[in-house]
Amino acid sequence: MLDISQLRAQLDEFQDYEASVRDRRVEQRRRARAVLASCDEQWPKVQAAVEEAQPRRLVAALQEAPRTTTDAPARPTPITVVATDGSQIYPDRHVDPTFFLLNVSRVGFQYGTQEEPLLDSVPRLRFEDDLRDHIDAVLGSMTTELVSALRDEMELEHLLAAAQEEKIDGRPLVALADGTLIRWMIRGMNNEAAEDALIARYTDYLQSFRAAALPLASYVSMPATTEVVNLLRFMVGELDVASPDAFAVSPSKPSLEGLLDRHVFDSVLAPGQRSATFGSTSHIQRAYPEGSEVCYFYLKVPSTSGTTEMARVEVPRWVADERSLLDRIHATVLRDCEKGDGYPLALSEAHERAVIRASEREAFFRLMERRLRRAGLSPTNSRKRRSKQAPRV
Amino acid sequence: MQQDAPIGEVIESSTRQFVAEVYEEVEVPAFGSWVCVEGEGQNMLFGLVSHVETGSYDSNREAVALGLSSEERAEEMPMVQELLRTTVRAQVLACRDREGHVRQTLPPHPPDIHDFVHRCADEHVRALGAPFDFLRTLVEHPDPAVPVDDLLVAVLRRTYEANGAEHGGREALVTAGRALSRLLDDDHERLQSILRRVL
Repeated sequence: MLDISQLRAQLDEFQDYEASVRDRRVEQRRRARAVLASCDEQWPKVQAAVEEAQPRRLVAALQEAPRTTTDAPARPTPITVVATDGSQIYPDRHVDPTFFLLNVSRVGFQYGTQEEPLLDSVPRLRFEDDLRDHIDAVLGSMTTELVSALRDEMELEHLLAAAQEEKIDGRPLVALADGTLIRWMIRGMNNEAAEDALIARYTDYLQSFRAAALPLASYVSMPATTEVVNLLRFMVGELDVASPDAFAVSPSKPSLEGLLDRHVFDSVLAPGQRSATFGSTSHIQRAYPEGSEVCYFYLKVPSTSGTTEMARVEVPRWVADERSLLDRIHATVLRDCEKGDGYPLALSEAHERAVIRASEREAFFRLMERRLRRAGLSPTNSRKRRSKQAPRV
Repeated sequence: MQQDAPIGEVIESSTRQFVAEVYEEVEVPAFGSWVCVEGEGQNMLFGLVSHVETGSYDSNREAVALGLSSEERAEEMPMVQELLRTTVRAQVLACRDREGHVRQTLPPHPPDIHDFVHRCADEHVRALGAPFDFLRTLVEHPDPAVPVDDLLVAVLRRTYEANGAEHGGREALVTAGRALSRLLDDDHERLQSILRRVL
């Protein structure tokens, strides 16, 4: 129950706060643009200074002038676009036995042809004994982090399989993943062996894309990343390490803290343009094999309603190193966003196919309960879960 | 009896009517045409297609205007066709019993869900002829969502065609017209309006 009347005063405060943040952002953006312009002129020197200083924060690695913009090229046609997305039923500690379910969709479109699309989904039920073979160390603690990591891995596994199946000789292809390719969230499971095993398996799939020459990209909608902003903050001496005096830029205020990369590029890019390509310095990247380290660019995505949205597109280094592949990905993602009203069509279709609806979820639980009961293994639902399912008056 | 390939499957069923999903690759049966469902033994149900509908498979997703030609749509939004389906609703008006007699009355049992639905061949349609008792069910217990006179026009047209059209179809039509005249309490204007639209 939500008592709306009590929220009125709090909403007033929130409104005032938002207005002040917006005013501050305008000033921050102005300064960020000035710093970026100064960085643009001397980017090799800036990059060398960052490498020397080694700030603790994640700072974008420069590979070209950071203010570079590229107009959208025409998308090749015909072209094969594959995408996957995943969803899950997390383990529930109010239900015994413990298990979880992953569901990954597979979408394959042969744009520019009238060939049949690939549209399906693959469910996988996982429980402890299944995991024991893979990762000994995580037994007994099926955290949501682990489930998410396994889902991401399964998405990439099926994206690779879909790309291999749908690939047609002589026809360009783009494989599109949802979210980031940087598995930073794996760190933090407090189990280094398990983390290493998960990362190794994930990067094996990344390498397979390279081995099969299947260009991979991932799409991050409304990214909250600050790597480029951190670079600017390094230049103006806001990070934990001192920056060379040579980078001093006016205006000297306000602080760039709280500004996001997408705020900066929103004022640099015209609709449809992509930014320069940057390298990720995320620590987890050290575990990525050479050639599969993650690079990224920002993209200003127009939508039919006239608004724009900033997206971040990540690609492995071997893709970033080849301009024709970057152009292909840029054009494909943009065209897909136009058709999907601001979000790539192939990914939104993959999402629709992956999602487990409430009715399907209930049907799955009923089926599982019936199976276990018939085998004399009646599952136990905690009182708490039962009371949530059927609240009493 | 040799049957053509099925055109679809029953997805909702009652003794009064059934809904069938039409397979993607087949031509959708026309409004006012006859379809049949073969049960066990000689049992067969005859249904009159009284409603044809195309929409989204997924109740959470509505079809929206895209502003694309059908070629562009197939080439650039290939999932759209996959998300659409056509269903037909048929009023059950006759059945054939184990002995092979066609009775123009409701069947003792509804078809099973997933039973195959076939188009009725001309010989089936001819068997659904005089004394045209099914017309009584149609007129007196119409599907409230369907304009009954338009359905009568369509079904009489089908009767005319199955009996040879200009080569003998007229006779069957006259018999049906007489039956209809009695059912409509000699409402000549309504009858004329129906017959006018048949030929």
